[in-house]
Amino acid sequence: MKKLRLPTGRKAWNWLWKIAATVIIGIVIGCSLTINSVTQPASVSGGSILPITLNATISTNNPQTSALDVAVLVPTIWNASANTTMSFTSSVTTGPQPMTLLPAGSPDPTGGGASWQTDLLNTVGHAGNLIPEYEWIVFQSNTQYAVNGNSTVQVTVNIQINVPTNNVFFNMAYVIAESSDGLHSTDYNDPSTDYYGTFFPGPVRVNGTGTLLDFVNPQLSVVVPGYSTDNDIVTIPFNATVAANGLSQATQVYLCATGYTTTGDSIQICQQTSKTQLQALGAGNWQMDMWPRGFFGLSPGQTLDSMEYYFTDVTGATRVGYGGGSSPFSFTFGCQ
Amino acid sequence: MRQLIKINCALLLGFILFSCKVEHATPPNEPVKNIAGTWGITDVTRNGTDLTSGFDFSQFRIMFTDTTYTIDSLVPFIVTHNGKWAFNDPQYPFTLIFTPTDSPSVSTPFLFPVANGVRNIVLTFSPGCPSNTYQYTLQKVN
Repeated sequence: MKKLRLPTGRKAWNWLWKIAATVIIGIVIGCSLTINSVTQPASVSGGSILPITLNATISTNNPQTSALDVAVLVPTIWNASANTTMSFTSSVTTGPQPMTLLPAGSPDPTGGGASWQTDLLNTVGHAGNLIPEYEWIVFQSNTQYAVNGNSTVQVTVNIQINVPTNNVFFNMAYVIAESSDGLHSTDYNDPSTDYYGTFFPGPVRVNGTGTLLDFVNPQLSVVVPGYSTDNDIVTIPFNATVAANGLSQATQVYLCATGYTTTGDSIQICQQTSKTQLQALGAGNWQMDMWPRGFFGLSPGQTLDSMEYYFTDVTGATRVGYGGGSSPFSFTFGCQ
Repeated sequence: MRQLIKINCALLLGFILFSCKVEHATPPNEPVKNIAGTWGITDVTRNGTDLTSGFDFSQFRIMFTDTTYTIDSLVPFIVTHNGKWAFNDPQYPFTLIFTPTDSPSVSTPFLFPVANGVRNIVLTFSPGCPSNTYQYTLQKVN
């Protein structure tokens, strides 16, 4: 049996140097921002604080001086920009470090001119929330921090959102990044996804008042925007595929609606004409953009308080309301 | 010979003295923005969502004269009654101010870009809830 002989002397040093260099380069190139876990309650009462703790690890390659950025996906009705506080602690700092909201339009440093908020929506998305009434809010540390190369920093971010009283079911999402590399850096040939971390912990339920704004489960119909007056243009969708209903196979869908004014009058528009016909979007989805004041023919002194509606086929005989049943959908007009 | 040199020097001195002329540079005059005419809606977004094809804006018209405006076929708009209009600055306008005959003035950010060779007016406002922002793009109609 031939005895294995390890190289010695100058030859051994040559090999050792090459192996060590490879390992060092591997460490230097390996850089990442990772959200390890997010602690958020499954539900919270409307009008209270939604507390969130985010644990993250930042591994650096080269010495770098940057600010920490943390983004949260929230429903717009929370007005979270004005109702959120954020700070963090870390293994390289002492005590809570303050963070401040980045104003809308603040540019992502590698976003090609796009703002953080827009770039997050385009790059990270909306966590599968079905109603397009969401936004990313971004907080940045008040100071930049010098971090050594090849170091690992543990970060704990504390987020507190004062949620309003509305009933909401929403898929949360979080992003951690830093102010130098943004969402699209490919320095050291690393993929841009190494330069930010994402976390999708699932939905949070706000137990409040009013109609549930369910972003998570497909709905037959949810009026958008959720906050509107009768002088907005509201979108009334109908997703016929969500549940078995009388209009699942319909080739034309019409709106039958009753508006209730603040003085107690009711105005019903229930006809099968071009005025009430929903636009086909395909795949069982229908939609109507409606200006309530014009649709119900309000006089200048009249104001709508609420609206009830259901959908019909071309004959008007088949009606589909809330949950696929005969009770109408309802919408109350009002602003935040 | 010396005489000839003196004449040449005198001519050269005269050339140097009178060849330079003080240039009176006048900054270009920014033309006053003229929006007089009848405009229709070509593009509408609500909170960034395109509403142009989902709602019938085709009948809406707004006619500007030098100082007044007239609205025809109302849709949600910054004003609901006819009245007077003005720029915050006629030469460098950033705001268009509407003063309806029966209510106080309201203003909207004003953009006047040219796209595909066509002049546009872009207005941003909230006719309903303040949280709902609409952007209307208008073009002149014949």
